[in-house]
Amino acid sequence: MTAVRNPTDWKSEAMRKRIAGRYAAERRFKFAGLFAVVLSASFLAFLLVTMMGNGLRGFTRTEIALKVDFPASPLLLDPKAITDEALANANLPMVTGTVAKTVLGEKADDLLSPTAWISIRDAIKADPMILSRTATISVPASTGLDLAAKSKGSPEMEAEVARLKQQGILSTGFNMGFLTASDGTDPTQVGIWGAFKGSLLTMLVTLILSFPVGVATALYLEEYAAKNWWTDIIEVSINNLAAVPSIIFGLLGLSIFLNLAHLPRSAALVGGMTLALMTMPVIVIAGRNAIKSVPPSIRDAALGIGASPVQVVFQHVLPLALPGILTGTIIGMARALGETAPLLMIGMRAFIATPPGGITDPATVLPVQIFLWSDEVSKGFVEKTSAAIIVLLAFLLAMNGLAIYLRNKFETRW
Amino acid sequence: MKTFALLAATTVSVLSLSACGDQSSGGAGQTRDQIRAVGSSTVYPFATAVAELFVQGNAGMKSPIIESTGTGGGMKLFCAGVGAQYPDIADASRRMKKAEYEQCAANGVKDIVEIQIGVDGLAFAESNKGPGLKLTPKIVYEALAANPYGKGPNKAQTWKDVDPSLPAIAISVFGPPSTSGTRDSLAELILEKGCQSDEAMKALKEKSEDEYKATCTRVREDGKYVDSGENDNLIVQKLGANPNAVGVFGFSFLEENKDTLKDVSINGVEATYETVSTGQYPGARPLYIYVKKAHMQAIPGLQGFLNAFAANWNPDGALTKRGMVAAPEDVRKKSAEIVKALTVLDGSQLK
Repeated sequence: MTAVRNPTDWKSEAMRKRIAGRYAAERRFKFAGLFAVVLSASFLAFLLVTMMGNGLRGFTRTEIALKVDFPASPLLLDPKAITDEALANANLPMVTGTVAKTVLGEKADDLLSPTAWISIRDAIKADPMILSRTATISVPASTGLDLAAKSKGSPEMEAEVARLKQQGILSTGFNMGFLTASDGTDPTQVGIWGAFKGSLLTMLVTLILSFPVGVATALYLEEYAAKNWWTDIIEVSINNLAAVPSIIFGLLGLSIFLNLAHLPRSAALVGGMTLALMTMPVIVIAGRNAIKSVPPSIRDAALGIGASPVQVVFQHVLPLALPGILTGTIIGMARALGETAPLLMIGMRAFIATPPGGITDPATVLPVQIFLWSDEVSKGFVEKTSAAIIVLLAFLLAMNGLAIYLRNKFETRW
Repeated sequence: MKTFALLAATTVSVLSLSACGDQSSGGAGQTRDQIRAVGSSTVYPFATAVAELFVQGNAGMKSPIIESTGTGGGMKLFCAGVGAQYPDIADASRRMKKAEYEQCAANGVKDIVEIQIGVDGLAFAESNKGPGLKLTPKIVYEALAANPYGKGPNKAQTWKDVDPSLPAIAISVFGPPSTSGTRDSLAELILEKGCQSDEAMKALKEKSEDEYKATCTRVREDGKYVDSGENDNLIVQKLGANPNAVGVFGFSFLEENKDTLKDVSINGVEATYETVSTGQYPGARPLYIYVKKAHMQAIPGLQGFLNAFAANWNPDGALTKRGMVAAPEDVRKKSAEIVKALTVLDGSQLK
């Protein structure tokens, strides 16, 4: 039997075609992958650019330097007896209107924010002696004027902007109030501090509840639980729980925490408890994976030199698994931070102008605040909504950054 | 084990702590130092404006909490009982229904004060670039009903199919969802009026109320009527992108967006401040707040909050600046008297 083995003729027509085909498939796959990356990056860029374009304006405010001649104004206040009550009774809104009319002309009402008098009140409070002289006080401009000064407004307001700029009394600057004030009805006066504080308190409750329970569950299931169909059922249930839509947790919170336990409505406590239910399965899953990745040799070594199982878990396994658990926790918390739906059910979709003092006070959170502002009538709220979104994104970015930092700092490789 | 026990102890104590919080702040015998209002998203901007003025005028008061749940959802919460854990005020963009009043009574909410705070218009609008439709309740009903006059599914595709005087533009209406008080107003003020142009329907109402409701107020679901969520700003944006569509929303949104939208007249009446205020515009509807009399003593500042409403609902008041339409003078006078005397609502007048 003499079999003639033909060596592969790489130069033949058929072989060349096959090789060309393989290279083409490779190129197509690379191109598809690149296309997917570029597409998702461009969506992200589009989101960020539009948000920044709309939202950065929301951090600024147009102000008019109003010259107030206090002795000549119809204000009846004794500089020596300035109390909150005296200021409330002095009819400052009316006085501000009259003063503005003499300085800015008949249309002053349309130029000044309806809450401009608050700036004057605060100026008097800070220095009562101001009442005996003429002072220049920066007061917020109306929404219409604000929009015209910053972007596109109505033609009349554009004309007013030109006129006031010529007089040199119009200025646009960073609006500190946006970071320190709370919800309001006038877009020139609103701020996000109330919602931000509400978010912080809610997250605190969520962390305190979900972290210990989640880690304890993960430890027990990984280290102690016998492998039988009971633990299988529990495992499947936890995985399912992590995928349950958040609105269902909201309904659960409503029926258990509010209707059954009679906890206070709209409070950060109930919000945090509801979100803790949602975050716990995420922590359990991340925790189990982190514990699983601790090599068995470490457990064996510890047991071999006489450590008890609890000592093994708490002195060796947990410290090594902690970076992974923390990363999972922070990602779960970041998801909870952006959650709106369950909080609507428990009454956090509300107008709350006083920042919460504690976890049982009525509070709202950042995403709900964004939701509320997006539904406001006044056009000035459009940029405030975008600005609030930027704050939320910055908060999320900080949390995710912390997760990456913790992972890199404590991660051990074997 | 120690650490684990500690961990468990912390968890348990946190949980029991929250249970304590329950007794101290949510318990029935306790009181609140903040006013709580729930209800209509249409009344929400006006209630928040009054809340703000109330705080500014009364130094040291905590700001009232206004929740926007929709009229129906608000009534449910309001009627759940008397006590600190239940709201003091329900905002409504329609009158309380008889069934809701009975629900309230069943839960011990007996003395309810009804105050009309103003008027809102259910505005029909289109983009500035739109075709300039002129509608009547009858046309709107025939264009939007699922089953016009009970004669089978609605087949009208264009406005011309409904009324030959209108252009041949595909029917496309953006409006509120069925949970909204605005949708109730659309059904009651426009659809039922149009439906009743047929004598047979009036007869049907006598015979079977349920069948009448289904025929006259059910809106078609084949995509001609687009349910746009509770967000009226979204409808405004959609109209800008679809010049041939018609939007249905609160009058204040039309006022605020006059530069991009124009009004669609109903029965030849334009939605303006005057026509809505006098009730001449067919889409005008009253706005109410309902207050529990039993809470007047227990909740500090409640009377002051009602007074702040009364002080600002005049034609040149703060509420009209926010887009509300002031009620006619005699209604305002009557409402002001109710605020003063806290006259209790007579449930037998409700429908």
